[in-house]
Amino acid sequence: MVNDGGQLYTIEGVAAGLIMLLTAYMVVGATTICTPGDAHISDMQLEVLGSDALTMVDTPPNSSMAESPLQLIIEDDSGGGGRFKNMFMNYTNVSGFGPKHDIQFSANYTYEADGSIMSAQINSSRNLTGGEHAVRVTKWVLVNKRLPPAGPLEKRAVLVEVLLWRD
Amino acid sequence: MNNLIDESGNLSIDFLIGFTIFMLAFIWVAAMVSGIMIGLQSSHIDYDAVAYRTGVILVEDPGWPASPPWEFYTDGQKYEISRFGLAIIKNTPGILSQDKVNRFFCSSFIYPDDYQTRAIFGDYPYHFNISVTEMGSSYNQSKGDSLPDGYGYIRRLVKIKGVSNASIGSSYIRAHKFNNTALPGDFNVSHHEFSILINSTKLQEEGENTAYSIDPAREQIIINITDLNSTVFRSPLTPGPVIVNLTSINVYKQEGGTLSMVRTFDTPYIDGSSTATKPPVNVKNNISLILNPRVFDIMQAGYSKVYINLTFDMQDNALPPNLVKSSFLNNTLSQPFDYNYNPANVTQPQLRDAVVEVAVW
Repeated sequence: MVNDGGQLYTIEGVAAGLIMLLTAYMVVGATTICTPGDAHISDMQLEVLGSDALTMVDTPPNSSMAESPLQLIIEDDSGGGGRFKNMFMNYTNVSGFGPKHDIQFSANYTYEADGSIMSAQINSSRNLTGGEHAVRVTKWVLVNKRLPPAGPLEKRAVLVEVLLWRD
Repeated sequence: MNNLIDESGNLSIDFLIGFTIFMLAFIWVAAMVSGIMIGLQSSHIDYDAVAYRTGVILVEDPGWPASPPWEFYTDGQKYEISRFGLAIIKNTPGILSQDKVNRFFCSSFIYPDDYQTRAIFGDYPYHFNISVTEMGSSYNQSKGDSLPDGYGYIRRLVKIKGVSNASIGSSYIRAHKFNNTALPGDFNVSHHEFSILINSTKLQEEGENTAYSIDPAREQIIINITDLNSTVFRSPLTPGPVIVNLTSINVYKQEGGTLSMVRTFDTPYIDGSSTATKPPVNVKNNISLILNPRVFDIMQAGYSKVYINLTFDMQDNALPPNLVKSSFLNNTLSQPFDYNYNPANVTQPQLRDAVVEVAVW
């Protein structure tokens, strides 16, 4: 009725189990990275840079300017996109002692009209191919503009959105 | 022989348990293999975080103490400074004060100790390099060690607010009749007064945006009086040259309709000298008054009208000098020079693009 088949009674079995437990403990203790690889640090740095650059474009250089360069660019129906590109890239690609990067961008602004959400392109440094690892920065801007173009001239808020990525 | 129990093909329980533990450990390690491909190290992540935090403190915080601002503390008072910050005020992050930037890089603060406790924080003795570079110019200031191969880094784009200043020269003096030549009997005057008004209350009310406002309680203001020679017309009864003696600079405060003298101002810069000279002092052509926030703080004049009165005596070159008669800079019959937001009176603060970079290792 009683036999000793399957019993943990051999010293070899106990020793093997202890060795396995010890191995597992060393493996767990040696693991230093518990998350899969990500680029959140470099993304954060790019996002801060983009946010600062957008704020700089939206800040008048002195009190005599009633509107910021960004407001004037959006209100310019003849195309202020070139000015935005020059200003924005001047800010993002400024060289200091830090790492050099070739930063690209694509900017547009979004507004609400007749119950629909509409979007208009400001400018971009090059077209997105879809493979870029881009970060997004946004800023609300008050502009005096006909939106949509056939609408009334009035002061309204638009959301400027800029995608930035490193080439 | 027991034919009912056949153990062939069975695995013993101790083997099963050991094999299970081994397989669990193997699967766990296999899942972590992807982490080996990452170049990130925990210390590098830490350096980036410290650099980011330092950048935020410098660019978005005005520092402490805030009133009077820390940048106007003397070298002997530097131990009262708790925290460095370059922003003008907390409400305008990213707009830096020129005075704060200049003071931050002053040689009286020692690397790394003074900066470790006031900008970097923490117990770990990080190495760091902090620099401010103005875009489109050669202006660059930095503090710290040379950069190694690997370091944590952050770059912040900012605007530096310049100092407001007033230049009162010959054309301005003539246009505003600040030399009394329009009225008869001007020559019969040996004693002249020139008054400057700094209306802190009005400056705060009219300064809608701190980024462009003039705030004597937080920022330095500079008043340059030039071309004083052009205002001297000696009386025909006065032989010989006229020597202008700045006898005193008195500061008055007006509160609730009451005007009272608060103090004297003893540090004017005369004729382009780099050191201040306490009146009485002879003046040839220029006087510069540099008023820092401590002057207004001591008077508790952050919300008052302040009048700065310069008094002059016209003298000859005898020893001891005698009073002579001459016209000169004088606005007692017109109105005080108003340090305000009129660009014709005062050069308004301008914002200049700059980059703040922080590297930590």
